[in-house]
Amino acid sequence: MTPADPLTPSDLARLYETLVTYRAFEETIAAAVTSGEIHGEMHLGIGQEAIAAALGLHLRPGDAVVSTHRPHLHALALGVDPVPMLAEILERDGLNHGKGGHMHLFDPAARFMCTGIVGAGAPLALGYALQQALAATGNVTVAVTGDGAMNQGAVFESMNLAAVRRLPVVFLCEDNAYSISVPRSESTAGDLAERGAAFGIPGFACDGTDVTALDEVLRGAFARARQGQPCLVVARAYRFRGHYEGDLDLYRPAGEKEEAARSRDPVLILRDRAERSGVEPSALEQAAARAARTVGEWFRAAREYPAPRPDDARTGVYASD
Amino acid sequence: MPATEGGPGAGNGPAAEGPAVGGTDPRNGSHLVADVLSQEMARDPSIVVFGEDVGRLGGVFGATRGLRRRFGDVRVFDTPVSETAFLGMAVGAAQSGLRPVVELMFVDFAGVGFDQILNQMAKNHFMSGGRVRLPLVLRAAVGCIGSAAQHSQVLSATFAHIPGLKVAYPGSHGDLQGLLVAAIRDDSPVVFLEHKLLYRHRVGQLPFGDARPAGATVEPRPFGRLRRIRDGSDVTIVAAGYLVQEALEAARRLTGEGISAGVVDLRTLVPLDRAGLVEEAGRAPGLLVIDDDYTHYGMTGEVIATVAEALGRAAPRMARHGVEGPIPAARPLEEAVVPSAGSIARAARILAGS
Repeated sequence: MTPADPLTPSDLARLYETLVTYRAFEETIAAAVTSGEIHGEMHLGIGQEAIAAALGLHLRPGDAVVSTHRPHLHALALGVDPVPMLAEILERDGLNHGKGGHMHLFDPAARFMCTGIVGAGAPLALGYALQQALAATGNVTVAVTGDGAMNQGAVFESMNLAAVRRLPVVFLCEDNAYSISVPRSESTAGDLAERGAAFGIPGFACDGTDVTALDEVLRGAFARARQGQPCLVVARAYRFRGHYEGDLDLYRPAGEKEEAARSRDPVLILRDRAERSGVEPSALEQAAARAARTVGEWFRAAREYPAPRPDDARTGVYASD
Repeated sequence: MPATEGGPGAGNGPAAEGPAVGGTDPRNGSHLVADVLSQEMARDPSIVVFGEDVGRLGGVFGATRGLRRRFGDVRVFDTPVSETAFLGMAVGAAQSGLRPVVELMFVDFAGVGFDQILNQMAKNHFMSGGRVRLPLVLRAAVGCIGSAAQHSQVLSATFAHIPGLKVAYPGSHGDLQGLLVAAIRDDSPVVFLEHKLLYRHRVGQLPFGDARPAGATVEPRPFGRLRRIRDGSDVTIVAAGYLVQEALEAARRLTGEGISAGVVDLRTLVPLDRAGLVEEAGRAPGLLVIDDDYTHYGMTGEVIATVAEALGRAAPRMARHGVEGPIPAARPLEEAVVPSAGSIARAARILAGS
């Protein structure tokens, strides 16, 4: 792996603003579920912000991301316009005219999609990567999975096919410790990062709450993938919310979440690292205030979008409709 | 879609298909498919072809023969036996600007990769609010050649039931060519069902022949337009796929018994030519719908419901004849289950009241 250029204090300050923006984005959506503004199922990435933020450091124009049922932060990292996306999440005539909702966001201009079927994104990512390989632009596709999806045959099949066709894919596993309610130890045998080796795919594990560790691992993985060498990155984080908003979340050992809130919150970890690198606490506070304003403006703008029209509910099933 | 040959009413009665029966055209149905793929790949560099054994071997039925040699292994390649992965790859490739034509060796294998068909291929255009297009063709070999319940199915209604998929089920060599051109040029995903007995027969050997001559450009034929290929005043037999040919043979036999049977070829199940069906249903006092897919919850019921809803008490007497259960292996058992000219004629006789 190429040695990482260490993140500078100003990089860390900028990343901190990204992280708190992501956190505010997800928390505001949670409030919209509580208030009833959103009636559908909702999966939030609180605790997993560092992974998307680090991803954003390595994505280039023309790269694609195929995400999961927990997709918002990957979309933001890739550069999907947050306002129409948010309008879609708020069940308005948004990015996908209200047809997809929060876990089926499609932005072909940004080359972003996600799917609500666990593990189904990996095969789809192969198709984006096939197009990139034929175009020979040096672009890559990131196939995001959770730790639960790592037990789907679709992912194994996709790692094998990516390897034999030398497709530019980074398989990025967000290991958030739970597959809905089932802890990793009860669902998943062996070491996830080692699964790549069976297919001749380099596998790297890292702390998914630490942007510095993520940055270093992703740098190497993207460099290899751009040369046609698929890679697997397993980023270990902790899911602070239930699987979905409304999950009673009674399945964790007593005290686990509280301990994680002290030791595994990526926002706190990055704040600590930034301060130790010399970033002024006041600069971080200003970044947090800017993030809150930014997210507030996105929500205000998204709420200006009209509701989708019932007359359109059955249109657009076929391309000619 | 451009106006084409073979529209409604075209080719009433057996048409000339190259040389006469027993002639010298060396092409069979699988050659026709390979030639159409070759024609279209030469026209459009965004077309890629992949699937199991489609490259080196040219397909287990020969329907991709010669393509890898002509277009190279970047555009034509073999995949592992991983239906989920390569069907998903086709969906992702279509969404990112390619026009994949992916082969499912036997349609029965759809079950292995069904999520990618049911939830991705069929739904992503709709769920994206029209922002992504899926110009892909899923070609699959269907029908009975003595291979039992896991290699003989048609499953046309299974796909036709899912909103978002178009389903073509050609019943002649000419439609195998022309509907495939249209499928490739369509911006929606098309499940294209190729009957193994259309592959096996040589051009000129089928009761109804309409293949384009060797070397001639194949033009697209439109989806959603049935055609009447034989007139009849007692019973109209509605069919799709290879059973169109068996229906013609049944009609020929019935003529000798004084029963006049017409034959209508649906050609595509989605879109279904409902207006055309209603019009055809008015031509004779009996309507027999036949299918080599399963009868229950299937195409035959859909056709009858369409006619009944439109015509009410004016509807003809209607009956259906299809596959009632899993398809067995041994020939006497297979023949007892799968419709053929003999069983179609029997069903038509009962309907005609003779």
